[in-house]
Amino acid sequence: MLRHFYWSLIAMVAIPAMSFGAELLPEEMPIEHVIDRCIQQKLDEKYIPSAPLADDRTLLRRTTLDLAGRIPTLSEAQSYAASTEPDKRSKTVERLMSSPDFAFHFRNCLEGLLSDGQRNSPGEWREYLLKSVRQNRPWDQLFREMMTGNEEDPEIKPALNFLRTRARDLDQLTNDSSSLFFGVNVSCAKCHDHPLVDDWKQDHYYGMTSFFNRIYLTKKNVVAEKFSGDVKFKTTKGEEKVARIMFLTGATVDQPVIEKTAEQIKQENDEINRQTKEDNAGPPPRPEFSPRARLVELALQAENNHFFARNAVNRIWALLMGRGLVHPLDQMHSANPASHPELLEWLSRDLVAHQYDLQRLIRGIVSSQTYARSSVWDSASEPPSADLFALAMIRPLSARQYSLSLRIASLNPETIVATTAAEWPNRRDELERNADDLANQFEVPGENFQIGVDEALLFSNNSRLWDDYVRDDGATLVGCLKQKNDQVLQIETAFWTVFSRSPLPDERSTCEAFLAERSSNPIAGLRQLVWVLLASPELRFNH
Amino acid sequence: MALFDARLRAPIDPGVSRRGFLGSSVMASTAAFAANMRVLDALQTPTLAAELKRQHKSVILLWLAGGASQLETWDPKPGRLTGGPFRAISTDIPSVQISELLPKMAQRMKTTAIIRSLNTRNGDHGGGTVLMETGRAKEAAVDYPDLGALIARELGRADSQVPDYVSLYSETEGRHKGGPGFLGARYAPMFLTESMIPPNIRRLDSISETDHQDRAAFQKLLARRFIDKHSNPSVASHGMAYERVRGLMSSESLFDINQEPQSARDFYGPTQFQEQCLVARRLVEAGVPFVKVARAWWDSHGQNFETHRELCADLDQGMSALLDDLGQRGLLENTLVLTFGEFGRTPQINASLGRDHFANAWSASLSGCGIKGGAVYGKTDADGQTVVEGEVKAGDLFATIFSAVGIDPTKEYHVGARPIPIVDFGCQPIKDILA
Amino acid sequence: MSADPTKFKVARTIRLKSIGLCIARLPQTERLFVGGSDFKVYEINLTAENPEPIEFQGEGHQSYVTGAAMVGQQLVTSGYDGRLIWWDVEQRVPCRNVIAHERWIRKVVASPDGRRIATVADDMLCKVWNADTGDLLLTLVDHKPMTPHHFPSMLYAVAFSTDGLFLATGDRVGHVVIWEVASGKKLSEVEAPVMYTWDPKQRRHSIGGIRSVAFSRDGRRVAAGGIGTIGNIDHLDGPSRVEIFDLQVGQRVQEISDTTYKGLVEQIAFPVSESWGIFGGGDNGGFISFYDTETGKPLHQSKMPMHVHAFVLNDAEDTLYAAGHNQLAVAEFKAEANEEQKLDPAAATTGN
Repeated sequence: MLRHFYWSLIAMVAIPAMSFGAELLPEEMPIEHVIDRCIQQKLDEKYIPSAPLADDRTLLRRTTLDLAGRIPTLSEAQSYAASTEPDKRSKTVERLMSSPDFAFHFRNCLEGLLSDGQRNSPGEWREYLLKSVRQNRPWDQLFREMMTGNEEDPEIKPALNFLRTRARDLDQLTNDSSSLFFGVNVSCAKCHDHPLVDDWKQDHYYGMTSFFNRIYLTKKNVVAEKFSGDVKFKTTKGEEKVARIMFLTGATVDQPVIEKTAEQIKQENDEINRQTKEDNAGPPPRPEFSPRARLVELALQAENNHFFARNAVNRIWALLMGRGLVHPLDQMHSANPASHPELLEWLSRDLVAHQYDLQRLIRGIVSSQTYARSSVWDSASEPPSADLFALAMIRPLSARQYSLSLRIASLNPETIVATTAAEWPNRRDELERNADDLANQFEVPGENFQIGVDEALLFSNNSRLWDDYVRDDGATLVGCLKQKNDQVLQIETAFWTVFSRSPLPDERSTCEAFLAERSSNPIAGLRQLVWVLLASPELRFNH
Repeated sequence: MALFDARLRAPIDPGVSRRGFLGSSVMASTAAFAANMRVLDALQTPTLAAELKRQHKSVILLWLAGGASQLETWDPKPGRLTGGPFRAISTDIPSVQISELLPKMAQRMKTTAIIRSLNTRNGDHGGGTVLMETGRAKEAAVDYPDLGALIARELGRADSQVPDYVSLYSETEGRHKGGPGFLGARYAPMFLTESMIPPNIRRLDSISETDHQDRAAFQKLLARRFIDKHSNPSVASHGMAYERVRGLMSSESLFDINQEPQSARDFYGPTQFQEQCLVARRLVEAGVPFVKVARAWWDSHGQNFETHRELCADLDQGMSALLDDLGQRGLLENTLVLTFGEFGRTPQINASLGRDHFANAWSASLSGCGIKGGAVYGKTDADGQTVVEGEVKAGDLFATIFSAVGIDPTKEYHVGARPIPIVDFGCQPIKDILA
Repeated sequence: MSADPTKFKVARTIRLKSIGLCIARLPQTERLFVGGSDFKVYEINLTAENPEPIEFQGEGHQSYVTGAAMVGQQLVTSGYDGRLIWWDVEQRVPCRNVIAHERWIRKVVASPDGRRIATVADDMLCKVWNADTGDLLLTLVDHKPMTPHHFPSMLYAVAFSTDGLFLATGDRVGHVVIWEVASGKKLSEVEAPVMYTWDPKQRRHSIGGIRSVAFSRDGRRVAAGGIGTIGNIDHLDGPSRVEIFDLQVGQRVQEISDTTYKGLVEQIAFPVSESWGIFGGGDNGGFISFYDTETGKPLHQSKMPMHVHAFVLNDAEDTLYAAGHNQLAVAEFKAEANEEQKLDPAAATTGN
């Protein structure tokens, strides 16, 4: 019990708009340098060495997975390995970020983030996100569009999907909004009973709820807002209270007093009633006062925007680094400080200063040395704690990263090389869609992610993988290997295609022995070899 | 009782323990390239039941999806307007009466305890299901594991060659997979819906048995380096998942009731639910710690009495056969058999002679392992409208289930830094019905 | 003729404490007898100044009272307790109590001459009794005790032909049997499987069954009532359904499936003098429908204030008394209704 109180208590302690101003590194420093300085400083304080930088092919694979949402193709991997240009890494980052793959992938990331693990979001919502990424629409603008939207503007209308999918559950709407946009999980403050700080904590929960409680869906599933409606709650002392519309910082919104006759009020209510019952009720009326619009206004004001900015930084950081600077991601409060507060602060300041340009932030992070560290801890000492970022974290691929990578790894690499740049966007989109049925069978990675036996059984016995991905025709890797007479070359090509690397000597000899045993049926041997590579953990994780 | 084929009772060297089997062959090194697919078949013999008796505890949840009526099962109110037409009948426990729709169970109350005072407040299918599957209300911030995953986590073995959470839920209304929540996919259910044979458990015809084995061994060999280099639990789980494949494939036969003598099949009965009860016994006997058999669909808004006449007959036959069979095999003292669903049904009878959703005063049953047979806990008023004695929340029921099978109900998990107790805050086991 | 379905109108309702499941009327009177879900039998005398239900006394039923029939001056009721009880309607006390079936009795009907009664029950037997002595005369065996899906079946419906020579019985799975009363021989059978409503996938049970049967006046046809195909069998959300079979050729000649008023057809009546049938039943609400039995077209349909479990007609066959969910309703459909004489407006709303 006590621990629950503790949690409830800290969950809602507001973070001051803390100012590291004087101590923060200069604004004009490149993001990647700031990251490396802050991370190194803490390691130095603790006399902990960092892991060496990852080798070229590992870093290429990692960066490609993070920026393109797939493994590198054979030609990408080989040309990177062959390149002697000193700035090949930064050039690759630029190439990938301007590639069509980036838009598809980062769209998928946003979709995953905003749907909170749910699958199968509507096509128009995915289109909307794709377009937003392609235009690099600032994060605050996306937030505004998701919250206030406009059912009549076809460009922005799909943004309302965020509200639409949650509109029937006010708790979920409040909590998801608060957690996904501000990093604060308010659900603990709904109904517990700490004697000292209860009231204002509930005020916060219900204050946030008050931004959303007038939202409703019409019969035609249009997101609309009522003209009035307060959130009432009972304090643990049994007192009935009407919640003030209140943001996490404690900033409140005063409702304008609008004089209305009883007749007007009745008309408004009748209209809303009609909207929820009739299919052809026409566009729903818009109230003069919209609490959700005020949430956007308030949350983005300079004195309040630290929640919004830090959360964005923290979530992007976690996406690329495997854990947040504040972890768990929805526990941004003073009792759960950031591992590197001055870094979080600097990055947040930078994000605000650059109009919430997430792509600038992404580019900065993937360009850092911190991002480029090896994920292997070779030292005899225990690996350092994950929140020091001394080595890269192993991350499971998302369902789509994995299904698309499997697709790419199993295709004849020559057919990919033959695809022109102009054809690639459609081809990639098609490959990804084509692998959706597999993607739907993979777990959505979360905290303490584990591979379930369902996945291993799927690989082992499902006809899709065996009869499709490792069949032996001209379209597949097996088909490509079949054309090569040299066993060494077969093994080399298979490893490069799937893992972006050469086999190690013992791997090569094991494979040779395996194929030799199957010399009577070499194609069966190659199919099994490719299956084994596809089913390996090395492909399953970003490392 | 000549129910079972004598061959199945043939003596097998009692010194051979399950651990010994697995230790010596199934867990054999990659170099051997061979898992003995026959080993697990041996697990189905009664001798292994003896091993199970010593070590393994299991839970079978008969999930009454849609919400069965407490008035037509465990808490009859004969002679009241809310009571419906069915009589209450005496049982083998003199002080206890249950509905006449469960005549066979009435003769088996010695192994069964009833809770008549569940007040779970959520009368919505979705919310009620989550509540009764996880033992607590849905919370936006935490993805709670369901009962099956919790039991699998606590009673399963990490290297188990049999599934540790099997959910039999045919394509009926209310089908819900549930799942491991924050415990992770290791404890996800093997979920059987379209077919009563688990998906992807059978080798494709297009690959030979030898090739399948060799391929798996080769995969393991190549994976080893990566797994060893990265000491990471997620990566390790990849290896564990693949290592379990061969064992699970050999457990396919557990799902095949054709392997039971006709006498055993007749004993359970011909309906899908009854057959699934038999599968549940086969699974538990082989060491599966949690089996859910979902029987849908009890949502009797219209014609409640006709519906319960059918469904209770199905339940009474399947459940009593299951308890008898487990008892005869010496498994019942280590197997807890539960019945409940997402809620009960209204005492009020509606104009379609139906009963609607009702979560304020309903019943559950617990039989076998760790249970004080014949006990009745809690009381509802004369019409069954409210709990008047011993109110029980979903979390209390869960704490009782855990206690019955030897899991500490005060145990905590951690999600990130946040401690999560295994049962909801403030919930306690019901000592009165625990042995 | 005196009746006109288009003039159908609920004239009054009387509140019942429980669910009225069966109804009988003493001929030439407006004395009605209703059995219900409180295990009790009541008399409601409509000619009384304030017709309140009067409870019968003595050792009565121990479960739902589901059948009621008049044999001469006596009332016979049947119940889910498996008992047949003969009542003295003047004293309102039982005069004979017979354990008639091992399972629920679904209905009791009397032969037109009042000398025999027939019962159907969930032991899947139809039994014919001497109405005067209570002796068992015949046990008719044909309906299967289990459904094809291994659930206990139910035998809901029974009716005598107008001449009293034949019986029709109908069960859960839609099986209808025609019997010769004198010999107890099965003469023929017809099937109405749609009414079973078995849901093989989503819910794996059924809620339908043949709930009512009736012979046409000439005895050449038999009608069976129930419910049609239901999407979601949690509710009685399917078309009310009647199938009419020509016994001469053993074929269905009418299929009446009606979504205007959904639910079970609980009772069917063919007035002596008319060429139409009256169907009553309901889902959460209730209905009475008049159908032309030649064309299968509705003549008039009316919503009732409650689910109708049973009804009887008056001697003139222009007034209907329905027992149902917590109410008894009186409805008139007189051809030459004289508005002034018809009813006392104050009484029309009694109990509403």
